[in-house]
Amino acid sequence: MASSGGEETPEILAFMKLALEQAKIAFESLEVPVGCVIVMDGKVISHGRNRTNETRNATRHAEMEAIDVLLNEWKEKKHTKHQVADMFSKCYLYVTCEPCIMCASALSFLGIKEVFYGCANDKFGGCGSILSLHTTTTTTSDIGRKSYKCTGGIMGEEAVNLFRNFYELGNPNAPKPHRQLVQQP
Amino acid sequence: MNKCEVKEHWGIVYVPDKPPFPLHQQPTVKVHAAVIDPKHANTLVRKLNQILPLENLRHVKRVRKQVLDEGGIRLSMMLCLADESDDTQLEIIPQEIVDLINLYKLETFITKVCKYAPISKEEWIEQSKLWPTSYHPPTYNISGITGFSEEESLSVCTFMKQALDLSKCECQIVNAAIIVDPSTNYIIAHARDQVNSCSCFINHEHDVMVSCLNPWQWCNENSSSCSWHPLRHAAIVAIENSSERDRRLFPGSGLDESTDHLEHDLMLKKQKTECVKKEVVDSQSNNSLTELTRPYLCTGYDIYLVWEPCAMCAMALVHQRVKRIFYAFPNRKTGALGSVDRLQGEKSLNHHYAVFQVMLPQEKNPLINI
Repeated sequence: MASSGGEETPEILAFMKLALEQAKIAFESLEVPVGCVIVMDGKVISHGRNRTNETRNATRHAEMEAIDVLLNEWKEKKHTKHQVADMFSKCYLYVTCEPCIMCASALSFLGIKEVFYGCANDKFGGCGSILSLHTTTTTTSDIGRKSYKCTGGIMGEEAVNLFRNFYELGNPNAPKPHRQLVQQP
Repeated sequence: MNKCEVKEHWGIVYVPDKPPFPLHQQPTVKVHAAVIDPKHANTLVRKLNQILPLENLRHVKRVRKQVLDEGGIRLSMMLCLADESDDTQLEIIPQEIVDLINLYKLETFITKVCKYAPISKEEWIEQSKLWPTSYHPPTYNISGITGFSEEESLSVCTFMKQALDLSKCECQIVNAAIIVDPSTNYIIAHARDQVNSCSCFINHEHDVMVSCLNPWQWCNENSSSCSWHPLRHAAIVAIENSSERDRRLFPGSGLDESTDHLEHDLMLKKQKTECVKKEVVDSQSNNSLTELTRPYLCTGYDIYLVWEPCAMCAMALVHQRVKRIFYAFPNRKTGALGSVDRLQGEKSLNHHYAVFQVMLPQEKNPLINI
């Protein structure tokens, strides 16, 4: 996991703003506010936001939603698996929070080119915080594991603020012990 | 349901939260310690717990008491973590500790303590030879960790047998998943890998295409139809099926409804998390849906998988709050429940399931018959 160190290009910031727009849509839908966009050849080709509460499926993270949009579209166009794999290898993901262990693995399986994220995910993060599923070692590259470049800290504060606002309201779907309202100082 | 006739050939083995280490090869970490004057012991312990609590070494006692040959006792105190590579680099000691060392004129030395808390009395005795640790026998309330009753073992192998049957078709062997509510023994959902479309009509030999074993290989498998998806591993599909069932059986509980509803919702979740067993006896004879309570994700449910899941699937099962995972075959290259990673032992995660490997009689191994 690399931190951006404030070297974000206007393009990176612009795409992250679009991902934050998605996160805000999640927030307004009472979902944990995470959003993302997928970019190929400088164009946004897919977007997604968390839908775990609505679907009652806790795996429906923003990344999974955006990936499924692409897969459906590409399969409708009768692209072969090889063409699909080739296209994923040209895709950049901009996501407001570090991908979790599940999503970080999935992105490696697909062979995505690069990931930019907002805030780190110090409980579930799969791109350096808890596990490093975006990297390969000599043993893991033997089994065909694919690595991707990952840069964090892009507009992280905005992403954190959304989480803060969300948890102050109380995640309506969290089990009871976790649903305590944050006391404002 | 098929019963397991040869129950004695099956075994259920708990896969613990930390990797098993041989009794005499417990992993250690280096720490700075110092011999202290017993009359300062209480003050020092209090001060150290304040300035440097050592969260990851809570199982290690702060003070070691040694009985000397000449009859006296010697107290040593663990101060802070030491650098793992170099020996006597005082500069990595935090300033507050350095102040304490100077104030009490402590002579520090580097020693080793055990990195992980002991999981058995034997480990505890062995660890304490190095530096004393504390041992707390497991207080889990997840049933099975301390053993299964005969009835439970029987239903575990019955469900695993169903998962094995599900993993095979005419042309392929894939991973299969069955989600079960153990309080009623209802099957909540089942699924096979859907990474590659099945092509039974081609009628060739059994291809082993277990998604979790080779998750990067999806684009190299031939597929004649368009029903493929690189991420639709059996566990992911089973979770999707269970959430579909939830929405179908318990509709209209969207989040944009009243607070009253949310309160009711939370009450249901609380009931589920407390694992209240309901009408277990009746459920065998009566299939009425009125008995069912709305689940909170897969809280309280078990999943049976033929192969140990990869990190994607294992994390999906954390997210979906599965209670216990049973798998038959380890996944040496990409398994995330002990083989490569061990998500059940990742302390930072917000949910932890218990993991078991179901050992099969030899003839049940599908790979043997290929």
